[in-house]
Amino acid sequence: MAESKLEKFKYGLLKLIDVSGFKVFDPVVRLVFGEEPRKQAGEVLKFLVTPVVFVLLCLGLWTVIAPRHKTKSGEVPTPVEVWDAGMIANTLNERENEKETDFALSGSQREAEITLVQQLLAEKKKQSEQLKAEAEKVAAAATEETAAAIAPVQKQYDELKAANKGAKTTRSGEIKKLAEAVAAGSATAEKLLQAIRDDNLASDEARDAEKELKDHMDEIRSNPPKAVKKTQLAYDAAANEVQHLSKRLDYLQKGNRSQKVSQAEQKTLAAMSKLESATTSSAILSAAKSVVQGEEKAARTAEQSYPRTATIWFQVRRSLFTVFVGFVMAAVIAIPVGIMCGLNKVVMACLTPIISIFKPVSPVVWLLIFQIVVGAFFPDPESHPLFVFFGSLPWIGELGVNPALVFSACTVAMCAVWPALVNTALGVSSIDKDHMNVARVLKLGLWSRLFKIIIPSSLPLVFAGLRISLGVGWMVLIAAEALSSSDGLGKYVWDEYQNGSSHSFANIIFACFVVGIIGFFLDRIMIVLQRSVSFDDGAAVV
Amino acid sequence: MALPALEIDKVDVGFGPEGSRTEVLKDVRLKVEANEFVAIIGFSGSGKSTLMNLLAGLQPADCGEVRMNGQVVTEPGPERGILFQNYSLLPWLSVFGNVELAVRQVFPEMTKADRRAHVQRYIDMVSLSGSEWKRPGELSGGMRQRLSLARTLSMRPEVLLLDEPLSALDALTRANLQDEIIRIWEEDKRTVVMITNDVDEAVLMADRIVALTPGPEATLGESFPVTLDRPRDRTTLNFNPQFKELRNKVTRYMVDINQEAKMLRKAVDVSLPELTPYDFTAV
Repeated sequence: MAESKLEKFKYGLLKLIDVSGFKVFDPVVRLVFGEEPRKQAGEVLKFLVTPVVFVLLCLGLWTVIAPRHKTKSGEVPTPVEVWDAGMIANTLNERENEKETDFALSGSQREAEITLVQQLLAEKKKQSEQLKAEAEKVAAAATEETAAAIAPVQKQYDELKAANKGAKTTRSGEIKKLAEAVAAGSATAEKLLQAIRDDNLASDEARDAEKELKDHMDEIRSNPPKAVKKTQLAYDAAANEVQHLSKRLDYLQKGNRSQKVSQAEQKTLAAMSKLESATTSSAILSAAKSVVQGEEKAARTAEQSYPRTATIWFQVRRSLFTVFVGFVMAAVIAIPVGIMCGLNKVVMACLTPIISIFKPVSPVVWLLIFQIVVGAFFPDPESHPLFVFFGSLPWIGELGVNPALVFSACTVAMCAVWPALVNTALGVSSIDKDHMNVARVLKLGLWSRLFKIIIPSSLPLVFAGLRISLGVGWMVLIAAEALSSSDGLGKYVWDEYQNGSSHSFANIIFACFVVGIIGFFLDRIMIVLQRSVSFDDGAAVV
Repeated sequence: MALPALEIDKVDVGFGPEGSRTEVLKDVRLKVEANEFVAIIGFSGSGKSTLMNLLAGLQPADCGEVRMNGQVVTEPGPERGILFQNYSLLPWLSVFGNVELAVRQVFPEMTKADRRAHVQRYIDMVSLSGSEWKRPGELSGGMRQRLSLARTLSMRPEVLLLDEPLSALDALTRANLQDEIIRIWEEDKRTVVMITNDVDEAVLMADRIVALTPGPEATLGESFPVTLDRPRDRTTLNFNPQFKELRNKVTRYMVDINQEAKMLRKAVDVSLPELTPYDFTAV
């Protein structure tokens, strides 16, 4: 019994792997359950270990090649640097989370947190001081070392320069004399020309020799010992932490919401007592005004939320939401229109020119068009009911739904609509004639024919189209965000490109991986959906 | 005289534009009595399926009429249940769902419980009990054709049209299903027209065998009544002289008409140019 239960579990797992399209892991599961170990181990080696080794080789190649290419934004980052940049981006996100909670804390919790943060801050400050001292020491040592390395070269350079200068003066004197001789007729012009040519040649050679030495010195200067960079980075990280902790302290103390509210309330109370004791009409009026103002401010502050800066994970969430909106728009248009195209050749003929002309249009063009068109719909986006509604929703509200999101989503929809439409039309028009004969014998009406025969039969192709659409949509969205500075991963990449800090290049490559991995998972989700509606094989339902 | 249950009256079917028209069926006449089991036997490509589509109403006649109980057939309908050669099951529906779709459409007034019972009865009838929730993709060829049969029968058609229903199956499954169809037919008699290319099958199952001459311009040829007693037992039938004689008669007739057709075709053959092979061997 237990045996068969285990078997059942195993086959369930294998089916799940199959449906989700991770067939590579099939032999691993079989191996774990002890099925034909030799054969399965061979499969694992061939189709799992070999690809992993290959990817590792690629990473190795990247690590070796990257630092050799120097760009204006520094060296091309290695995989390790990219990973570090990703971790830093993640830390930034966590810090934002901490500050957000700090901002909203009140009462005894706040007190407890203040002591904790103060303690941490003191520790970090000490550590930071130490690191700073160490970094300075290392830097000083490195400077000395560099100076020591440069000194002999400098000396050589100076000597060479002096020698060259002397030689040049001598040559110039000789040329002058020769010119006089030519004037006197005791030498030929040809000889003078030759002397000038030789002089130029000698000067060039001297300059090249000087330049070589100078380059050598520059190289020594620009390549400080690795230790300098390392200690400096350690100090930077600690200093960042110190800065973050003091920011936290600020959000716990002065910048805290409850503190701000109570401050406003106190002001109101003071104004109130002033109002009670005031005698002249003008004093009463001004006191009353400040009471009302204080009340309003207290109420507004209580509503306030922490002004987050956009971190990478926020941008990921927003991009996912935008692509989802665009994808749904595309599906809602593509499926009914595709069905109509598939059913009626005239409709197909009418739409073919439109599809053929608009399908190849670049997303960038659509973005600009939608930016103009959508902008006209929302003259006052802050108070537009649509955005007010979205802003009030949980999860979605904090993503900041605005016209930029709408036109990005429209651009996604415009580019994603075609594959879904064409595939749906194909699915409907290529429906098996036998199935239609069944419908005719049963005398099914239009709607039952549509919902019981046509749609179920074309669903696999519809989903195949939707899968392509989602892939296209995700690609288009990132480009659209980068171009239009609409919040999302695309904007993150663009901002990094513009910002040009030491981590920027690594951040861009990290974002590139994030985009790729998300795209991969979106595709996988669509594969699972597609396979769950396809009926060609028995593995339709899990 | 009672009206024939099904009648094909001087029907022509062809395709192609005028001028280069190919006639598939020409001057086809057939009368099928009520509760009669007629087998139409013909070579492949002779227009058997066209004839079946005609009877089902899936394809219109260019000339002439198909009548059912005296009424002209213009469109398909559940009263003429057709069993397709390639099953035509809906792969996204379960066994139960496939039958239920037909039942729901043909008997919309049925209550849910009645409908379930009705569907289950026909699934049981074709011995598919226990596979109700499987998809057609998980069934064997024989089981699929059983399901198709259950679906067709569940519509309670007056006339059953079998379009080479067993030709895609292996010999054993085929024999099995032949018996099944005969059993069901004997339990609940109705008019059946079956198309086949197997003489044994026709002799075993039918009351009457009608030959379809090879196309183009195929038409119905001689008709052979089968007077063997029912139930017919396939194991003893092979030694039955009457069976052997009938089978030989039909086979011989089919071979003859085929040769005749071939000879007819030869007459229009283009003459080949006279060529003599040249001898390239060294002189």
